[in-house]
Amino acid sequence: MRLAQTTAEKILARASGRDFVVPNEIVEVSPDFCYSHDYAVFAIDAFEQMGATSVVRPERNVICLDHGFPVNNARDANNHVRIREFVKKQEFLAFFEGGTGIAHQVMMERGFVVPGALVLASDSHTPSGGALGALAIGTGESELGFVWATGRTWLKVPPTIRVVMAGALTRGVAAKDVVLTIVKQLGVLGAGYKIIEYQGDAVSSFSVSERFTFCNMSAEVGAKSGIFPSDDVTEAFVNGRAQFPYMGVRSDPDANYAGEITLDLAQIEPMVALPGREDRGVAVSEAAGKKINQVFIGSCTNARVDDLAIAAGILRNRRVHPDVRLLVVPASRAVGIESARNGDLATLLEAGATLMPSGCAVCAGAHQGVLGDGEVCLSTSNRNMPGRMGNKNAEIMLCSPATAAASAVAGCLTDARTLD
Amino acid sequence: MMGESIKGAITVVGEFVSADIVLPARYSFLPPAEMAEHVLGELPAEVNRGVRSRPIIVAGEAFGYGTGRESPARALRAAGIKAIVGGPFARMFFRNVVNNGVLAIDCADIVGSGIANGDEIEINPATGGIRWNDRVFHGMPTPAIIQKIVASGSLIEYGRAALADMARASS
Repeated sequence: MRLAQTTAEKILARASGRDFVVPNEIVEVSPDFCYSHDYAVFAIDAFEQMGATSVVRPERNVICLDHGFPVNNARDANNHVRIREFVKKQEFLAFFEGGTGIAHQVMMERGFVVPGALVLASDSHTPSGGALGALAIGTGESELGFVWATGRTWLKVPPTIRVVMAGALTRGVAAKDVVLTIVKQLGVLGAGYKIIEYQGDAVSSFSVSERFTFCNMSAEVGAKSGIFPSDDVTEAFVNGRAQFPYMGVRSDPDANYAGEITLDLAQIEPMVALPGREDRGVAVSEAAGKKINQVFIGSCTNARVDDLAIAAGILRNRRVHPDVRLLVVPASRAVGIESARNGDLATLLEAGATLMPSGCAVCAGAHQGVLGDGEVCLSTSNRNMPGRMGNKNAEIMLCSPATAAASAVAGCLTDARTLD
Repeated sequence: MMGESIKGAITVVGEFVSADIVLPARYSFLPPAEMAEHVLGELPAEVNRGVRSRPIIVAGEAFGYGTGRESPARALRAAGIKAIVGGPFARMFFRNVVNNGVLAIDCADIVGSGIANGDEIEINPATGGIRWNDRVFHGMPTPAIIQKIVASGSLIEYGRAALADMARASS
């Protein structure tokens, strides 16, 4: 008997050595690829405390430092030293020094995340890998240490809900506005323990960078992951880049879903998530004029070449408002190089932006760009709960690069389509 | 040891408390005892005092949502927490908590039931049953794998035993 399967179920079936899996059963899986970042130091602790000595399949493991670089204290510097020594000793496939970029971005652009793979990484924004048709799931650090030690872990097979998108975005509206709309509709745990699969006629119009934004913020509705089934867009991106053999996977036409949301993209407006929670989305036009102190164009959500191009397009021949600090952090060095070559970084700097090294930066909440009491940051990142950027007495709003750039010029929350 | 009940006094924590509020990122690298001093420290001071003096938390909807850092779970363990009930919880937080030997049981009914700081409850991990005086709430049963990890003390202890078994099997 053939059982209709979703994309995620097919990937979990293969990774657990079975013909099929059903939602809510617990399976033992061998991941195809794992990665980590600065917090790997806790995975090393766990690995060593378990009494393990050699990592299972080091040729399928990578570390990319991104959370706090360049380091601002001796303790973190020593942790980085320990990580560098560990990856050398264990002969990991690759190690990326701080400044290379945000791990999720680097794993995508360097071909470590491939279609159909089961990817585990010790970070909640691991679902970003769903942009390439991988099933990418976040783990804790102890759990990554357990996977290093045993090559395995257990997962509960999640039900899948699908978001079916039709139509086309209107001018000035971006993938970020769509995903903020989805987060608003579902709520911060609205897809808890579930997979979100993005489907519909409009899917083929989204680039890998835009798909990344969707999958990245699937974490903000509590999803176990988000995924775009492999198609021609995926193939065009990974062809010639993939580090491992791969096989694209798509849901069977008669697969079962635990829920469905349909969206007409033509109806989506530029959105802003108001301070405190990611699901507090409203149209930018409804909250326009709200005062801001800092604008952050960065993070794994929206700081790729296309995002910086949109921001530069708005800031060209304009100046950042004197009461606003604009911080720009390309998602990776590769992004920075391309945006330098095409002139966008120069445009942003001429407008008054401050350029920072590629990494998590402000969004990691421990390292750079901390806000003062009562200050407001408008950010292209993914999280705005109290304290996220290192001060619970500051506020964070989330938006697209276009809204961020236009607001940096105006000095207050502004719909980019209204800028003269 | 599997399935042994957990009894103790509770501290109530409200809804939508993110993992960044359970323990801010800047405290992630502190030794456990110092993390315990900061756990839930962004909330009114009696919350931190409560979780450091009583072994169970009754937490509201989405407790621990957001970041997948494990340090919030380590901080709760360091504070002496043995179980967290309520929720529903965010999945990475749930896994991090059980991997640190702290039982977590989804039981939305107990949230808003009138239970108050200092009340005593008894939890049956296997069935998910939670007894508070004369009332019984039916939480999610705990899968066997999670019962084993929690009973081991942590995923590290569980992993140490698993590795020893693997070594025996291959020798």
